[in-house]
Amino acid sequence: MTARRTSWPGTELRADDLVLGRVTSTKFRPDARYAWSAGEAMSRFLEELQRGRLIARTCKGCDRILFPPRMFCELCFRPTDAWTYVLDTGTIETYSISYLDTNAKRISVPILVGVVSLDGASPTMGLMHYFGEMTPEDLRIGMRVKAVWRPPEERRGSVLDLAYFRPLREGEA
Amino acid sequence: MTSLDRSTDPRRFPHWEGHMEADYIYTTGIAGERFFATLRDEGRLLAVRCGACKLTYLPPRLFCERCFARLEDWTEAPPAGRVAAVTVAHLDRRGTPLPEPEVWAFVAFPGIHGGLVHRLLVPPAAARAGVRVRPRLRPKAQRTGAITDLEGFEPLPG
Repeated sequence: MTARRTSWPGTELRADDLVLGRVTSTKFRPDARYAWSAGEAMSRFLEELQRGRLIARTCKGCDRILFPPRMFCELCFRPTDAWTYVLDTGTIETYSISYLDTNAKRISVPILVGVVSLDGASPTMGLMHYFGEMTPEDLRIGMRVKAVWRPPEERRGSVLDLAYFRPLREGEA
Repeated sequence: MTSLDRSTDPRRFPHWEGHMEADYIYTTGIAGERFFATLRDEGRLLAVRCGACKLTYLPPRLFCERCFARLEDWTEAPPAGRVAAVTVAHLDRRGTPLPEPEVWAFVAFPGIHGGLVHRLLVPPAAARAGVRVRPRLRPKAQRTGAITDLEGFEPLPG
C-alpha cells in the first residue's frame, strides 16, 4: 500500500492564486470549431433510412456485401463497387439487457439492445439497434427479427428512423 | 477513383457542427514569474546565466538546457538588441485581415542565448533585419505582468 501523501514535489497553486492574479499567467480559448461529416457512404445510408430502406456496398475483391455501407474495403484495400439494398429482416448476433438508460440512470424496465446481422448482407454484417414487442426472456442469439419503421412523416434521416426490431412472425419471409 | 479523389469538404454531406471547449490557463512558472513580475513592477528585462556553460538565457529559464543545472545567477538583459528577422502580418491570429499591417520582429541581444519576438514599432516599409532596437515599455499603471507590458521594440535614436 502506498502511504497517503499530503505534499508533492513542485509548486502548488490554488484557484485563488490565478483568480486574484498572485501569479502571472495567460488565459486562452482556442477557436476549435469542427464539422463532423457523415461522409459519402453513411450519408446515402441515412438518406435511404428516411425512405425506409437499408442500403449496402458491394466489393468485387472479396465478394462481400458491406453493411453498413463503406466506400473502401478494409480487407482488399480498394474502393467498393456498387450500391445494393439489403432486407430489413435478420438474425440476432448478440444482445444486452440494460438496466441503465442512455444517461446511465438506473431503470426498472430494461432496454433491450443488440446487433442484428441483416438478410442480404455478408454474414455478421449488420447494425446495433433496439428490440421491441418482446420480453427479456424471449431474447436469444439466433432469433429471427424484422425492422419496425417509424411513419414516413416522423423520419429524420437518422438511424432512429428504424424504431426497433421485433420478432419475425410465422409465415413472414 | 481512389479514396484520395473523394471529397475533403465535410459540408458537402449531412454534418454536425460543434465548438470544442479547450480553455486553458498557462502559468509562467518560477523563472517566468520572476521575469514578468520584474517587467511589470520595475520595467526591467531579466535574463539568467549558467556560469558552467557560459550561456545567458532570455527569456530566463529555471534550468540550463545544456547541463540541467538549476539557474540562480540573475542578470539584466542588455539595453539594446538587433532585429534578426522581420515579418509583416496582414492577418490576425484568427486569419482575419488586419485594418493595418503589423510588423513583427525577432530581436537578438549581444551575449544572449535566445531572444524575444515582439512588435517592431516602425512602418511596414521600414521593416528590415539589422536595425538596432530597444524595448518600449507601457506606462506602469497599464502593466499586467505579461509580454504585452512591452509595447514592442523601437529603433535606437540616431
